[in-house]
Amino acid sequence: MLLLLATITSVGFGAVRFSFAEVWRAALHPAASGDTGVILFSLRLPRVLAAGLAGAGLSATGVLFQGLFRNPLADPFVLGASGGAALGGAVAIFLVPSLSFAGIGTVELLAFIGSLLAMVIVWNLSKVGGNFAMENMLLAGFAIGTMLNAATAALELRQETTNSGMRILAAWLRGEVTAPSWSQLCFVAVVELVALAAALPLARQLNALALSEEYAAQLGVRVERLKILVVVTGSILTALAVSLGGLIGFVGLLVPHFLRLILGPDHFRLLPAAALSGAVFLIVADTIARTAFAPSEIPVGMLTAFLGGPAFLYLLNRRQRSV
Amino acid sequence: MSPIMEFRNVNFAHSTRAIFEDLSLSVTESETVALIGPNGVGKTTLLRLAAGLLRPSSGEIRVAGRALSDWNRRELSCCVALVPQYLQVPFAFRVEEIVAQGRVPYSGFFGGLGSDDLEVVRSAMEAVDILHMRHRVFAELSGGERQRVKIAIGLAQQPKLMLLDEPTQHLDLGRQIELMALLKKLVGRGITIVAAVHDLALARENCSSAILLTPGAPAIKGSVKEVLHPELLERAFSVDQPDLERYLAAEPPARNITPGPEQIDESLVSLRKKREQEHRERLRHPGDDARCRGTARDVRHGRGWDRD
Repeated sequence: MLLLLATITSVGFGAVRFSFAEVWRAALHPAASGDTGVILFSLRLPRVLAAGLAGAGLSATGVLFQGLFRNPLADPFVLGASGGAALGGAVAIFLVPSLSFAGIGTVELLAFIGSLLAMVIVWNLSKVGGNFAMENMLLAGFAIGTMLNAATAALELRQETTNSGMRILAAWLRGEVTAPSWSQLCFVAVVELVALAAALPLARQLNALALSEEYAAQLGVRVERLKILVVVTGSILTALAVSLGGLIGFVGLLVPHFLRLILGPDHFRLLPAAALSGAVFLIVADTIARTAFAPSEIPVGMLTAFLGGPAFLYLLNRRQRSV
Repeated sequence: MSPIMEFRNVNFAHSTRAIFEDLSLSVTESETVALIGPNGVGKTTLLRLAAGLLRPSSGEIRVAGRALSDWNRRELSCCVALVPQYLQVPFAFRVEEIVAQGRVPYSGFFGGLGSDDLEVVRSAMEAVDILHMRHRVFAELSGGERQRVKIAIGLAQQPKLMLLDEPTQHLDLGRQIELMALLKKLVGRGITIVAAVHDLALARENCSSAILLTPGAPAIKGSVKEVLHPELLERAFSVDQPDLERYLAAEPPARNITPGPEQIDESLVSLRKKREQEHRERLRHPGDDARCRGTARDVRHGRGWDRD
């Protein structure tokens, strides 16, 4: 409900402003709406939907990774998964430029592989004697993320890349939601819904994993399989989100944190709630980002960094001091 | 009486170090078994082997008459509950939610809890007397309370065999006595108990039999009296006999300065009463207490769970 409201209102905001009623009318009679329809449906709506999908993917990934690492600081951006996805996507644009704009999957596939590899590396580095050390997790995530971002930036500078490819890469590095084509949007939406549905039973098992790996195994959970599935699902969701919005940080940290205060820590309830709230959050944030400083737009990643950075530091400080 | 747990010629090694060589022992139904032995001899490993978390390199482990390799993982979790030494939970999970995890092996693919599951969870919490704190956040509980929550998880699994790893560790005297009384109650419900313990006096008071693990020697299983024999203990723990005898002496040496056994009993009773009084007070003012305990724990554990 809130999601629908946020979508309609956000579509209305922009360089040319429409009222809620105008948007509603245009939605009901798409053929009769003329210029309004063009602006709304070809330019604004894809961007708003892209922001929603990216926000949902990042928040859901946050819940999954936090359950996996048993740590509320685990966010796809902090862990370097987003960086891996961006590099993978950049490689796709760079190596196969003709395919990458068809919208069907090359970028997403390589982004997924990049994100998965980044997670596997961070996972192995943060393990100390069978347990996760938080310092290692954060440092490994930071190092991997920075390296991958640098590599992506280097690819961006290559002269061979096409102009539109360069624009997309630049937007990714800034964390800016670009308006995707409808075919790309449909592809991402379908894959994302499937991934989210697949993540639900995993979320239930993450509650048992919260006790400890040994406990979960003792309770009949297949821990190794669970960990692999969570990493794969999280990487898919991250790759989809990055293909739409690039390096948007801290969404996967902020949204689950506030939901935990309201709903409690049960991952099974948290996951769908995080997907929905993440979508609303990023739609609103992106709308603010593109309208608040009109006529110039700021990337939404900048906005989430301003909000999420302090929240991250607050959580880190609380973790260090207490339970 | 049929054996509920049986080790037949079990060999197990951690990387290169052999922990068990040709270990054979059996535990019959409704026994209360103390598992004793020096640090690092493999008490935890034995429990984890029996719970199916580790696989022996050779030999066979049987639970309820069936080899572990023939058990489905979930079915085994419905028959054997392991209560590990540590439980630290990130996020603000409540006691009720934690105990409900004991139903995981019974739940299907999507894992919802039915009304019977909730009833089992409730009665598990009742059995260990934590029903009144079911809405409290686990991370804020005291050591004794956490110990009881752990046992409640095990109970929610409705096991035939419960394996406890040092359940009395870090508990004060009163909490230790309470816990052993609780375990006795479980035996009355038809649950076989195998508990790794360090306190030999506690083992002697509360267990029907004992398993003694000695480095480099075969394991000994027998009644508590047989196993807690000074000569055997001397070898297992490599201590001198006089020290051991003093430790195991039924009565403290009769001297005028030290109180006699009756006096000790009396002071124990009054101490216990005082503790219970304090506990009730604490329940009445949960806020103050949480704050005090919070700071104390911070000092003790430093950075807390994330270091683990």
